[in-house]
Amino acid sequence: MSTNIVRKKLNRLTGKDLINVGIYSAIYFVIIMALAMLGYIPVMMPLLCVIGPIAGGIPFMLFLTKVKKFGMILIMSIIMGIMMVLTGMGLYALPVAVVSALIAEFIWKWAHYSRAGSSVVVCGFFNIWMWGNFIPLFTNPAGYFSTRTEFGADYEAALTALLPPWMNPVLLLSCFVCGVIGGLLGRALMKKHFAKAGIV
Amino acid sequence: MASGILQATGQKRGLVLDPRTKLLLLVTVSTFVLGGLGGDKLTFLVPCLSALPLVLLLAARKIKPAVLYSAAFGGAYLASLLLLPRLSGFSQFFVLGCTGILSRVMPGVVLGAYVVSTTTVSEFTAAMQRLHVSEKIIIPMSVMFRFFPTIGEEFGAINAAMRMRGISLGGGRAGKMLEYRLVPLMTCSAKIGEELSAAALTRGLGGEIKRTNICRIGFKVQDIILITLCVAAFAAAALAYMELL
Repeated sequence: MSTNIVRKKLNRLTGKDLINVGIYSAIYFVIIMALAMLGYIPVMMPLLCVIGPIAGGIPFMLFLTKVKKFGMILIMSIIMGIMMVLTGMGLYALPVAVVSALIAEFIWKWAHYSRAGSSVVVCGFFNIWMWGNFIPLFTNPAGYFSTRTEFGADYEAALTALLPPWMNPVLLLSCFVCGVIGGLLGRALMKKHFAKAGIV
Repeated sequence: MASGILQATGQKRGLVLDPRTKLLLLVTVSTFVLGGLGGDKLTFLVPCLSALPLVLLLAARKIKPAVLYSAAFGGAYLASLLLLPRLSGFSQFFVLGCTGILSRVMPGVVLGAYVVSTTTVSEFTAAMQRLHVSEKIIIPMSVMFRFFPTIGEEFGAINAAMRMRGISLGGGRAGKMLEYRLVPLMTCSAKIGEELSAAALTRGLGGEIKRTNICRIGFKVQDIILITLCVAAFAAAALAYMELL
């Protein structure tokens, strides 16, 4: 009975955990937002699913070393979804983020919050939330472009040519694969720098 | 600027709004101006909502940001009006992109800056508690908003140091740009984060007992006017969607 209570307390998220979530969410969000500004160049729009997860992998892998309890990845994903709503990117990212984060959470739980190989896969699944921002481009392209008329027909034509319907699953896959690449990059950097500096 | 974010107590604050109203305004402006809800039928809404940050900045007695905002917005508008018909090809595309970014992103960004610079952490927390948001979301969110200016400050310092060492675009070592900026940034962020959580623990964050808050928040006349405006905008969008308008 008493051990049960102790275990419950150990598994509960403490203030320190929540603060860690906030700090790494801030770093991750700043990096993603800085890159998202490149989306105004049509060619860069689909490439956001490539560079975003790769650059975001570095802070996320460092974040994963602090995650020892269930729920931290989920909270970070939900915050990303809320920030997308607040910055007007649409509502699609939030449900996508919840689903992908739950998958990531369970993988990380099965890895006992420590296995290096799984952490890379977790990073891949986490980054899938970014794909949610692209859903309206495929499900309702006419509606999407009618709200962006001042960008001009050139922008619309360039973007439509770049994003045919078959690109939808490709972008989803690219988020995952590049998330894995970003995870590997982050792990390499962590070995090189952070372990030495005593951060991890 | 950095110290002003989320720490506005003890200053002359002008018109005070409830944090919940501010969040609603932020969602409204970003969905209509940046996200473009409503489409072609509600084009009159976009300039109205773009003027909103200006009004709020003036009401909060932030004269300098208000002047800068109106100058940038007016400049973008004039450029799209005067320059665009005379240009073609790439230069038109370029000007279009710039004015598009300015007129579409600026209102949301300026309003966001207004919200974080006029709301204290305590007010934000109190408002979120009234909204019955879980503490698991409130704490990370408030830490995040508190942390943005710190990241900006640290990044500026790191950027300057790396430029001096020739690690920049055109400095000959552009390939190392990402690694040599992100790694120091995260190293110092991790350290600052540890200090921040120690400071927060001494203030009783994450304890067993529910925290109290002495901030007085609540809806006043100005809140009700602005909330009505937001609700009206969303109602108009819904009507336009059902093709009644």
